[in-house]
Amino acid sequence: MVKTDKMAAADLVMGIFLITFGGVVIWASLNMKIYKTFLDAPGFFPFILGIIFVGLGAIMTSSSLHRKGYEDIRQSIKHFNLTHLSKNIEIRRVMVLIILMAIYIFVLIGRIHFTLATALYLFFTLYYLKSASLFKIIIISIVAAFVISTFFTKFFHIPLP
Amino acid sequence: MLESFLQQADIFFNALSAQFYFTNIILLAGAVFLGIVVGAIPGLTATMALALLINLSYGMEFNLAISFLLGVYVGAIMGGCYSAIMVNIPGTPAAAATAMDGFPLAKRGEGGLAIGTGVISSFFGMLVSITCLIFLTPFVYKIALKFGQWEFFLLAFFGVMICGNLSTGKDPVKGWVVGFLGFFTAMIGLDKIYAFPRFTFGLLQLKGGISLIPALIGVFGISEILIVLEKEIPYKILGKITQVIPSWKVIRSLIPTAIRSGLIGVGIGAVPGAGEDIGAWVAYDTAKRNSKQGEKFGTGVLEGVAAAETANNAVIGGAMIPLLTLAIPGSPPAAMFLAAIWLHGVQPGPMLPIENPGFLFEVAIVLLLATCFMLIWGLILARPMATILKIKREILMPIILPLTVIGAYAGGVRVFDIKVTFFFGILGYILRKLDYPMAPLVLGIILGPLADVSFRQALMQSRGSLIPLLGRPLGIILLTAIVLIAYSGFRRTIEYARKHDHPDSPKSIE
Repeated sequence: MVKTDKMAAADLVMGIFLITFGGVVIWASLNMKIYKTFLDAPGFFPFILGIIFVGLGAIMTSSSLHRKGYEDIRQSIKHFNLTHLSKNIEIRRVMVLIILMAIYIFVLIGRIHFTLATALYLFFTLYYLKSASLFKIIIISIVAAFVISTFFTKFFHIPLP
Repeated sequence: MLESFLQQADIFFNALSAQFYFTNIILLAGAVFLGIVVGAIPGLTATMALALLINLSYGMEFNLAISFLLGVYVGAIMGGCYSAIMVNIPGTPAAAATAMDGFPLAKRGEGGLAIGTGVISSFFGMLVSITCLIFLTPFVYKIALKFGQWEFFLLAFFGVMICGNLSTGKDPVKGWVVGFLGFFTAMIGLDKIYAFPRFTFGLLQLKGGISLIPALIGVFGISEILIVLEKEIPYKILGKITQVIPSWKVIRSLIPTAIRSGLIGVGIGAVPGAGEDIGAWVAYDTAKRNSKQGEKFGTGVLEGVAAAETANNAVIGGAMIPLLTLAIPGSPPAAMFLAAIWLHGVQPGPMLPIENPGFLFEVAIVLLLATCFMLIWGLILARPMATILKIKREILMPIILPLTVIGAYAGGVRVFDIKVTFFFGILGYILRKLDYPMAPLVLGIILGPLADVSFRQALMQSRGSLIPLLGRPLGIILLTAIVLIAYSGFRRTIEYARKHDHPDSPKSIE
């Protein structure tokens, strides 16, 4: 079976993103305040970076077009199916893990005690990953959260969020 | 001459007395042990170990913090060989080349011998690199003292370019893209010259800029958790570990390979951002081409294990040379070490021998002691490691996340830094999935401020003219190197595109 160069499509998207991003950086840097001359202005180095991004983006786009990256994008759009995507185990696993991390960081931390937040995060993550039996997961979550909190606060005097 | 020698001897003995005391030795022994265990567990890299353990060093005395972090670094790079040999999954990327011959040896029931060879080779690699560190660093200091604004700008640019070039196989442009994204990240916050807010979008928290440690923890910690947990990869430990220490005859036969690989490791280590994995692969490839049994490499040859393991540990000393002299880390774990010593108020660079004359010797002494502990622990742990490797990654990796959160928060005591870590973790994961290397990103974040300020000040001094650069030999050398790297990189990118464009060739990446 021939492996297709899946990176060509990703490179095309990245190339276009870099050109756009570089353009935005150039525009933003030209709008920054000039104190004496543009050469020592805060926007000078970002301006150079913007040009570099546009240049690298152009190279990536051109290289990807040579590798027929647009074909892969067209095929992906043509056969795009949200159900298939959600059935991809790898993508689903990563998405769930990211959501659990986001809940832990953006919702739980700072609102409830760190030990409790950690125990809840560990319980749901370990349960999703089927890391052990339910009883073991409960024990691991509680013990790990308690040990981490105690270890850092009592022994190393490190503040917890 | 004699006066200079006596002065150096005085500095050396002061450094020795500063490091050689009971608490420090015990801590170092513990740190090496911890490093070996962490490095052995697949998914926990040396960089991640340092990223997570930096927060433990915040409250330590400076000497203890140095010993702790270097001990973990040395141990973790060597520890990777256990899982590479026993389960064919390198504990760290640095041990990937070790698995090539180590795992076939384990399948033949010679896993213990492969581990013993790996440990002794790592020990030898460290000795070579410490020797080079002590004798080469003063010369680099002398060169670094001649650096002006132009040279510092070009060096920062060179660092990102060479790192981008070396860390990507087919397409160096990808390495450069992430390197310059690192530069851009460093631009966020108040400008260093006029304190003008750049790319802060009116957010107060962004005015302080993106803190280095939360970004590094995100890139190497959270992205690694996701990479490891995205797939279920069960692994099995092969057989029992019997003989560990190789015979003197075997050791003697490996000495030429070890010396060559050690020197390769030091050389690669001294290149900004190149890292232990590249060092190991280059040494492995060189050993394969120079060996009488080169065609047997990959089938279970001790020489292959020795080449890879000598080189990956030799990179540590090599990586310290640009770090101490120019504040440019030679590898991603060295970048973490740099961030840690910055936190403790030490500013590496050309002025370091004047401001802190004993620091080079202190680092060398700690590395030497860590190397001795690495040898002892490495051989003792060969058998018990089979038990440690049985820890399920599905349990271990989720527990790492709270540690990354504490690591990100502890430095600045800002919840915002935890969000930065999360953002960089997701960014790192996406970029890694798309074949972008992470080392140039880290190097870019570290070198960005240097490149920005040096370039602007150099241009101001020369009133916008590039002509003064022509009178600076070091600047011309660096500029020529940058042009050559850019030329070879673009050529590789074009060749890669053409190869896949040919109508008769399948669109194959392998």
